[in-house]
Amino acid sequence: MQVYTTDTPAARSGRIKVGIADYAVSGDESTLTTSGLGSCIGVALYDPETGVSGLAHAMLPEADDGSEPAKFVDTGIELLLSEMRAAGADIDRVVAKIAGGSTMFDFTSADGDGSIGDRNVAATRTTLDGFGIDVVAEDVGGSHGRSLELDSQTGDLRVRSAKSGNHVL
Amino acid sequence: MNLDVRSLRTFSRLAHSGAEKAAGSLTTLAGIDTYVNVTKVELGTKADVENEFAERDLVSVHIGFSGGLDGHTVLAFSPESAERLVDALMPDIDATDAEGELAESSLKEVANIMLGGFIDGWADYLDTTVDITTPTYVDDENDGPLDHVDAEGFENGGDDEHVLVFRNQLEAADNAIEFDLYMVPTASSIGTIVEASGEDGALPVESFAAFSEMINDGANQASEDITAMTGIDTTVEVSRLSFVPIEGVPMSLTDAVRRGVVLEFSGTPSGYIAILFDEPSAENIASSLLPGMEGDEAMRQSAIQEIGNITTSGFLDGWANALETTIDISPPKHVHDIGSAIIDPLATDLAQSQEYAFLIDSTIRTDDDEFTCDIYALPDETELRKALKQLSPAA
Repeated sequence: MQVYTTDTPAARSGRIKVGIADYAVSGDESTLTTSGLGSCIGVALYDPETGVSGLAHAMLPEADDGSEPAKFVDTGIELLLSEMRAAGADIDRVVAKIAGGSTMFDFTSADGDGSIGDRNVAATRTTLDGFGIDVVAEDVGGSHGRSLELDSQTGDLRVRSAKSGNHVL
Repeated sequence: MNLDVRSLRTFSRLAHSGAEKAAGSLTTLAGIDTYVNVTKVELGTKADVENEFAERDLVSVHIGFSGGLDGHTVLAFSPESAERLVDALMPDIDATDAEGELAESSLKEVANIMLGGFIDGWADYLDTTVDITTPTYVDDENDGPLDHVDAEGFENGGDDEHVLVFRNQLEAADNAIEFDLYMVPTASSIGTIVEASGEDGALPVESFAAFSEMINDGANQASEDITAMTGIDTTVEVSRLSFVPIEGVPMSLTDAVRRGVVLEFSGTPSGYIAILFDEPSAENIASSLLPGMEGDEAMRQSAIQEIGNITTSGFLDGWANALETTIDISPPKHVHDIGSAIIDPLATDLAQSQEYAFLIDSTIRTDDDEFTCDIYALPDETELRKALKQLSPAA
């Protein structure tokens, strides 16, 4: 029995909050926000023609069978794109801005493949490339946390961090 | 009665989907965007829960339920959030007029809308019917907030009765309104739900209670050690064991910037620990360790690292004793960043092998609010289960 749902209620105030292992799509003038990206990655997608935009907050690079799709970069982006398409976006026009994927700590569990942050960034590039989507701006890596706000009208992605303040991608 | 990770997952899913339904009702009916941040299954004593209500000065509306499932649900607000919610529900009415009975009746209405939907999901899952009582408004400081909650707990063989609390943190209207939806089922109802989800590999509920005691002892030891080091009296405000979907762990913290340390511990169990202060607390604690000195950033960092070390060993030493094992602690790594982003890599690392986490969080504070110290510990789930087995009465 499926009792778990990640459905978020329809927005009225113009701000849609995207949780962790979550994504959301906006076809109007809403702002999509997500916070607390450490090694996690934020993927902002935008179709400039229709203004349909989407934001995903993924934790890990690749999904295993039967896992919660929004938690992973590959399946999360796929889901986000199919919802954007349903909302009227044309994937050929969609561009991406990405932020997050930092390496804040050197854990003993990290193996030769690099940190989870680095692997998340790599998986994001590979997945987007597979859909033919260009990354037009990015703020990835480093050793600090980030929070994001995507203005779905303009496609501007505001990145906030404790150390380097705010800037817009 | 036994509990296992599978039934805890069922609990967590039921509570989360119930809370989503409840949030959706408020969004639809009142036009206020409402989100569920985190759903936690918490294990603590009734006193723990009551303390938190008292500390935070919460206003609450209670609805009881009975039938196929017995217990209480509570919607709890800070007074400011309650006022903002009433204001959002009745924008045409002057906020000062909205106080008193009018505010009370609108909060009751909100509770009716939300808690009814929340309970329905549980009744559906158990294929039973559940009746709910009319809402009771509680803001009397003289009343224990759980006085109305006559959910019997389960005995730990000691004086402290433990209860299982389903707690959903919700927010509405762009973070302006924060509130908690609690559900406290009776012990026999917990048994009913556990039975419905199967008991494979279950552990006696007493071992969870024993672990929760161990966490309390650890927090008290850490508090004593902080006092000894800083010369400032501290007390443990809250100490909790909860079961959370892994992505809910960072979401338990806000965007506020925190300073502190992160450490790895290894043994049975291994895992991560973060000792975090808000910025004013970090300043105060650093200056209490560097009395009369104009400490530079490097000195402040090392003071914070030192307090992190002391707190961690105070917190974990008792575990090693109770579990008859050794737990090694890595050197503390200083952090100064967005709170939720500090915890994110810790949860993400564990997310590679587990979908849910046991989150331990304790708050130690001084009486005069000079500083507050939050301890978050995230043990590896499989190893923690091994440790819990060792605490079982039969072991």
